[in-house]
Amino acid sequence: MGFEADVARHQRRVFSFAHYFLDNREEAEDVTQEVLLRFWRHGSGLDPDGVGAWLLRVTRNACYDQLRRRRSAAVNLPTAGFDVEEAAESVAAPEPGPESQAVAADFRRRLQEALGRLPDPYRSVLILREIQDLSYQEISDLLELPLNTVRVHIHRGRQRLREELREDYGDAAVG
Amino acid sequence: MPRWDESLRCEEALALLEPLIDGELSAAEEARLRAHLERCPACAAEWKLAADIRSELRALPELDCPPAVLERVFREAAHSSVVPLARPRRTNDGAGSSRRPFWAALAAAVLVALLAAGLLVQQLSRPRPPSAAEVERATAEARFALAYVGEVSRRAGLDLRDDVLRKHLVLPAARGLSQSLQQSLGPEAQAPAVPGAVPGKGRS
Repeated sequence: MGFEADVARHQRRVFSFAHYFLDNREEAEDVTQEVLLRFWRHGSGLDPDGVGAWLLRVTRNACYDQLRRRRSAAVNLPTAGFDVEEAAESVAAPEPGPESQAVAADFRRRLQEALGRLPDPYRSVLILREIQDLSYQEISDLLELPLNTVRVHIHRGRQRLREELREDYGDAAVG
Repeated sequence: MPRWDESLRCEEALALLEPLIDGELSAAEEARLRAHLERCPACAAEWKLAADIRSELRALPELDCPPAVLERVFREAAHSSVVPLARPRRTNDGAGSSRRPFWAALAAAVLVALLAAGLLVQQLSRPRPPSAAEVERATAEARFALAYVGEVSRRAGLDLRDDVLRKHLVLPAARGLSQSLQQSLGPEAQAPAVPGAVPGKGRS
């Protein structure tokens, strides 16, 4: 399979992971570009069946690098930090409509924020499991972790999300 | 209600929430857990929260990378001085061939050298100096020749090492071609992205 076909096949998975991991579209675009170019340089030596896993591993590492750059920039340029609440409002402000829709949108927004605050490996495994619909075994293979470790990470990640969202949940309960 | 349903404690019920989310409980286990959830508002609330989190995360879409980003990737790849390695040939034992016959590299050398020399002679024999676009096209053709040789050799079951080709064959040929053409153009000519002739545009 050629480079362009491989890119067409895997770009969504790479970009989505970076987007939900970083909770920032521009950074996700930069990471995706970096990852795909790295794939261009090194990826064609891979077993075709391993391309998807390789790309996600590289994407995860690139996201770590991006977080380090972000922290470094925040230290060097204190004014460069942005208001997470304000940014989230501008991106995910609920459409005017029925109150239930607004409540559901508010829950979704708080959930994405909580996911963005979740430390790794919990954030990675939840994105892979819940958003990208990978099986426990696929995540185990991808992250090169024992299956039971993946189970524990997912369990703890879910627990942490519940702890973050439990407060005021009664007011924002979906459905 | 069966007696054993009532024996399920809250800790046990909470431990079963995630297997329930993942659809891993047997019908009997699920019935037992649901019976507990009907009686226990605290566990039911925890279940509702867990289920909402799960369904909201599942509802988040996988996102397409913006086309502009992909265009930048393809553009940079096309102008990159790096030619990717040929993919390892699949064999029955799942391992790619690691032996690179010398004669295959030699044949590739001859082919690339002939292509480069042909382009050089063609350009230099013209009555007028070539344009920058022609130089760029010639170098692109040289780069394509390398990719073509790699692909043909891969199909033939010969895994040629990219670095051998690049270092000993293509770079000298492409560099010579580029320098000759740029001399014909004069100092105002902008050198295109010839492998090894100018710094590559690709990211490190």
